Amino acid sequence: MGVAVGAPQQGALGGAQAHAKDGSAGYALAKLEELVNWGRANSVWPLTFGLACCAIEQISAAASRFDIARFGSEVFRASPRQADLLIVSGRVSNKMAPVIKRIYDQMSDPKWVIAMGDCASCGGPFNNYAIVQGVDKMLPVDVYVPGCPPRPEALFYAIDKLREKIKAEEKLGVRE
Amino acid sequence: MTEKIIEKLTAKFPAALKDHSEFRGDTTLKIDAEHLREVASFLKNDEDTQYNLLVDVYGTDRLKLGQTPRFAVNYELYSIPKNSFVTLVVEAPDPGRNGGADGSGRFGEPLPKVASVTDIWPTANWLERETYDLMGIEFENHPWLHRIMMPDNWVGHPLRKDYPLGGEPVYFEKDRNNPRFAHLGKQIMAGPSFETELPEEMDTNGHMVLNLGPHHPATHGVLRLATELDGEKVIRVTPELGYLHSGFEKTGENKRYEKFIPYCDRMDYVSPMNNNLSYVMAVEKLMDVEIPEHVQYVRVILAELQRIASHMIWLGTHAMDVGGTPHAAPLYCFMMRERILDIFEMVCGARMTTSYFSVGGLRWPLPGAFMDAVRAFLKEFAGYYHDYHVMLTKNPLWLSRLKGIGILKAEEAIALGITGPLLRAAGVPLDLRKVRPYCVYDQFDFDVPTSTDADSYARYTVRMEELHQSMRIIEQAINQIKPGPYRTADRKVALPPRQEISTSMESLIHHFKLVTEGYLPPVGQIYSIGENPKGWLGFGLISDGTAKPYRLRVRGPSFVNLQATNTMARGGFISDLITIIGSIDIVLGEVDR
Ligand code: SF4
Repeated sequence: MGVAVGAPQQGALGGAQAHAKDGSAGYALAKLEELVNWGRANSVWPLTFGLACCAIEQISAAASRFDIARFGSEVFRASPRQADLLIVSGRVSNKMAPVIKRIYDQMSDPKWVIAMGDCASCGGPFNNYAIVQGVDKMLPVDVYVPGCPPRPEALFYAIDKLREKIKAEEKLGVRE
Repeated sequence: MTEKIIEKLTAKFPAALKDHSEFRGDTTLKIDAEHLREVASFLKNDEDTQYNLLVDVYGTDRLKLGQTPRFAVNYELYSIPKNSFVTLVVEAPDPGRNGGADGSGRFGEPLPKVASVTDIWPTANWLERETYDLMGIEFENHPWLHRIMMPDNWVGHPLRKDYPLGGEPVYFEKDRNNPRFAHLGKQIMAGPSFETELPEEMDTNGHMVLNLGPHHPATHGVLRLATELDGEKVIRVTPELGYLHSGFEKTGENKRYEKFIPYCDRMDYVSPMNNNLSYVMAVEKLMDVEIPEHVQYVRVILAELQRIASHMIWLGTHAMDVGGTPHAAPLYCFMMRERILDIFEMVCGARMTTSYFSVGGLRWPLPGAFMDAVRAFLKEFAGYYHDYHVMLTKNPLWLSRLKGIGILKAEEAIALGITGPLLRAAGVPLDLRKVRPYCVYDQFDFDVPTSTDADSYARYTVRMEELHQSMRIIEQAINQIKPGPYRTADRKVALPPRQEISTSMESLIHHFKLVTEGYLPPVGQIYSIGENPKGWLGFGLISDGTAKPYRLRVRGPSFVNLQATNTMARGGFISDLITIIGSIDIVLGEVDR
């Protein structure tokens, strides 16, 4: 962590410096990103959302033995508007696809997606008429977790990877 | 029994019974479609038969068998008073010129028609809807024949033999700049969006229709309940399924028999061992394989452990839903489930998707530390079991949210085809492990807990008592089990031992044949049921003599049990609906299959 809030750096923000007064707290543009990312990365709130077998492992991950709270993600939110992480844990059927898309749209930015398990990543063992071959056909997936189902540890690893990714995000994570 | 039915049927309806056969102990009666309803109500009501439980309805597309007419409907009946099964096969007359081969009735194509039996056995309602949806057979006079699994605007009937399996190639490459991946994360929708229709009798103007799900924490998955409300009072609940429909049956028909075992794990994914057991029993019945006693014991031990694990999920989530003890109960329950999963991991390497039973035995021998682990678990679990009782049984919050809620009486339950703890909580002591023992369940001393209150609390007490009985069974089993071979010596089904392959030419051939071709069961049709934690898991197999099942039917207990939601929730409050869903104990993977 290296957020430096100090004397205004001349010329850092072009015209904006006109408002800076001597001796007051300045702005730290490059570092703000880090500050925000640091906050976001350490409290990723997943959506209470489960699809199939993988969802049971997701619940196990939240339960006492594995305890997802160690990674700051224990606050499962039932409303998509309060969550920033969608863990797609299971197979996505053609009938469910529009629903998932809508749930994703309801989440407020910034938001991330973990495709948990083979089904969510690529269709898994169900290459047939009913199942969408990977949720990345309709959502931007940040981390894929292989496994059928992945163990809770694998999910933690994915969340850890996601945190790395969040910490390295630029432009406050605004996506075009 | 069979002769008597046939005698009576021929005397009463001379034209109805076209044929009858026996195969592996299953009686199959071929009934003329014209007379189906008469025969059905006769079989249900006659003193000597009393087939009061309709277990399953499923269609067969016999296109590739070359039989005419093309479609047939199978009815699996069970008589609780007589403890006997019978299968009815009804051939649906081909409609029109092209047999309605490509499309559904909605698009003007004629469908084969069979009379509905929903008024005789109300449970047929959803089963017939499923057959209509996936197989394209129309049931005349059905109260509301709509698609149940697929979206309403789906074209075609996936289980028909001329409907392709579907799917698409999936590419695995590291290079994300490959144009093949250009669509990733961009495409909005894979298929057309859809609107579901609600039953006409729902009063959408006078009452409020509240949608619970498909994304709702208390529906235990992706179930949608369209609930008609008058204030807080529930007028009608219409469950809307299919959000997790994964095409298990179609997939199974495109795989060799043994390759379907891993798929079973993923159906009722909180009790994979029981699913495996029911499935391998079905295939073993079809193949007529002898199973060594050691294997039977191991199967019983693991199946009962799995029953405990499954009930742990039920108890934990149920307690969390009704808020009796907001977070302690689930954590305590998951704790014990983890212990069981550790044992499974020791046995087969997987926590949830076990696939440990194989046709003819077990996949591997048991590890040496197994018995000690089970003993240690039993000891620890006994303490936790006591804790669950302390936490909930007399907890005033728990009592007030469960007592008298979601009444499902015995007659209603039987009419709706309910099985498992739900039926036993209504006072019917129907447990397949007792009435038709499979594996070695007849070797153990255990009770079938029942209750007569028929409410959610009764279901709670019945399941709690079942946990106790499972402990008893496991304990007896680990004391009685003797060492032995871990799979059958029948080389036509099970792989020969490794050392034999290098010494015996014959074994090598068997090995080669099994691995490359699989085994070839005889031509025939069987139906086999296992007592799962949630009820009867039935498998129907129709073999055409090849290594793949011609028709593979799965009867999920949750699917049938869920049909009782409306009966149980009607007239109650919306908050009780959550209790009711919790007390049915559903798993959506099995409901939607
Ligand atoms: S990846 Fe495996 S465990 Fe996960 S939902 Fe798919 S089938 Fe189930």
